[in-house]
Amino acid sequence: MRKLRILHLYPDRMNIYGDMGNIICLQKRMDWFGLKHEYITNTVSEKLSGKFDLIFMGGGQDRGQIAVGSDLQTKQAIIKDHINSGVPALTICGGYQLFGKYFLTKDSGKIEGISVFDVVTKATELRMIGNIVCVSDEFGTIVGFENHSGATQLGDSAQPLAKVIKGYGNDGKSGFEGVIYKNAIGSYLHGPLLPKNPSLADFLIGTAARNIDKQFILKNIDDSVAMLANSYAQKLPQ
Amino acid sequence: MKKTAAILAAKVVKSASRIKKTAATAAPGYLAERIDPNLLKKLGSINFPDGVVLVTGTNGKTTTTKVLADVLRNGDISFVNNRAGSNLSRGVISSILTEANLRGFTQARVGLFEVDEAYLPEVAAALQPKMVVVTNLFRDQLDRYGELDSIANKFRQAFKNLHSTTLVLNADDPLVASLGMKLSGSLKVLYFGISDKSAFRALQHDNSADSIVDPFSGDTLRYTHRYFGHIGLYTTKSHSFSRPKPQINVTKLIKSSEKSIKINVKTTTELLSVSVNLSGNYNIYNVLPAFATAQLFRINNTIVLQTLANLSAAFGRTEAMQIDKTIFDLYLIKNPTGFNQVIQSFIQKDSKCPLILAINDNIADGRDVSWLWDCAIEDFASRVGPVILTGTRALDMQLRLIYAGYKGKIITETNAKNALKTALGLAKNNRVIVLPTYTAMLSLRSLINEANDETSKEFWQ
Repeated sequence: MRKLRILHLYPDRMNIYGDMGNIICLQKRMDWFGLKHEYITNTVSEKLSGKFDLIFMGGGQDRGQIAVGSDLQTKQAIIKDHINSGVPALTICGGYQLFGKYFLTKDSGKIEGISVFDVVTKATELRMIGNIVCVSDEFGTIVGFENHSGATQLGDSAQPLAKVIKGYGNDGKSGFEGVIYKNAIGSYLHGPLLPKNPSLADFLIGTAARNIDKQFILKNIDDSVAMLANSYAQKLPQ
Repeated sequence: MKKTAAILAAKVVKSASRIKKTAATAAPGYLAERIDPNLLKKLGSINFPDGVVLVTGTNGKTTTTKVLADVLRNGDISFVNNRAGSNLSRGVISSILTEANLRGFTQARVGLFEVDEAYLPEVAAALQPKMVVVTNLFRDQLDRYGELDSIANKFRQAFKNLHSTTLVLNADDPLVASLGMKLSGSLKVLYFGISDKSAFRALQHDNSADSIVDPFSGDTLRYTHRYFGHIGLYTTKSHSFSRPKPQINVTKLIKSSEKSIKINVKTTTELLSVSVNLSGNYNIYNVLPAFATAQLFRINNTIVLQTLANLSAAFGRTEAMQIDKTIFDLYLIKNPTGFNQVIQSFIQKDSKCPLILAINDNIADGRDVSWLWDCAIEDFASRVGPVILTGTRALDMQLRLIYAGYKGKIITETNAKNALKTALGLAKNNRVIVLPTYTAMLSLRSLINEANDETSKEFWQ
């Protein structure tokens, strides 16, 4: 199989919560699965062209988000083409918000998103911080840490990623966490998300690989430490 | 009246906690602050005729404060210092009250206080300092402090209300450097920095950079040289924002060993050859504010030179402890930059000695351990071993090691005492490197002390 091309959007500006951990996890697991991969970064005022097999974007500070938001508009078409053709993507926190319709900030007005997800986010006075546990039929129990004051509401067509068992999730009220559209995921869980939730990592990797070779099967790898860490995190206080 | 009641109450608590031998360093100040919320301001206005020095920033503030204390002491300037503990406003109050009479007067000419970033605005407003040192600003316990930009903005606001203060700022940290720009009024700025590009060997997996944009325009910074994290020599494409030229400037790193560092420092008036009795080149940043202090308090630079050449080994949040013949080198780790500095300075060579990683997630450690993924674990994964894991988040660390490609032996000991025992067995009278988070350091340190206490020999059986 050819090399899987991982696109990391704005790694220099959207990187504050251990976001590289998700990239480290994807790359290492691809190594273990015997998949070759290439890591491509793209940031503000760089041209984005070509085809990618997996897209990642992390969370950043509000300041970072304004410049990123306007730059992302210029890349909207190519990113949406990818997502609509089934390319897997993971967006965390600020990345999740900007893949939605808009983010209404407290001090900097409205930052337009690129509407991959049918969600809107509004700044609140409540800082939603703490350990979070949620559950999904497809991915099992997902654990992580959240730290956001933006509250995200799902539109009519949006599917949540998971149900919150402990923690705030999208807005602290709806009981939902994250969003999934086609193979693109948005989530507030950093921590980072993938190492302790290998089912999510393998969904992204497996989808990327099967977009190239329909028959591709991920072989079993030893995730015993990850699963222990996952079970341990389920018991942590919020 | 309120003031006297507050001071009296604090003194009572203080002597009570002495009798009980508890280490409640902030409790008297906390109580006094509750009785009189303006107490710090009142204490500031009647004390410290020569002025107040505040030291803040993410990393290095304890070391920097200790260095400045030595400089003042050797310069024969009396001062009050909060070295015994808390760097919150109540800790500052406690330390003043310890030295004060019932009317709140101390004999000290200077107040020297380490201040937590979150409390700087409050403490600065109350004490109107003569000098504020900002060492650096890195991501640290985002669950507690919030984002860096908001901290920097709070600093900017706080500085607007100061008069005739000198800001002593790290020129090599873009966010800190920006605090000295576009200032209004009577504030002065002294920058310190390192201009010798050979001072730091770059790490391969350094993900700890936080502030890589111009804080004013949002333009991306270009680094001609990056030391660690976002510390280095930088400018924007249009040069609208660049590293300011330091008035206290390390022009050359002459020598750096496991015991000491030799540098050339150019100040506005002279070129000095400086010996620093510390290891770890990042500590250079923690001694440079000493020259600013000398300038502001009219202390001769020869006194600074003598002080730096004779710093005690307990500096630098680095501690060498011992059980029998085994040396335990403790390096506090609390954020990616601090962790990476330890890796950069102390684990670059193949040490192949036991390493204890003790990661807790108590409030004082930061409850979010995602920062472990921003540390350059890959850079030392092949250089150490075996690794002994302990702490509440040992599993997170184990997972991080696996993903970093560490192939050596991992021993997990839930119990910290067992972790030390295991390390003792493996070290064979040699050396053990210990990297603990804050609360893990406290417990390991007291366990090591306990092991050396004759009366508790059976403890280790």
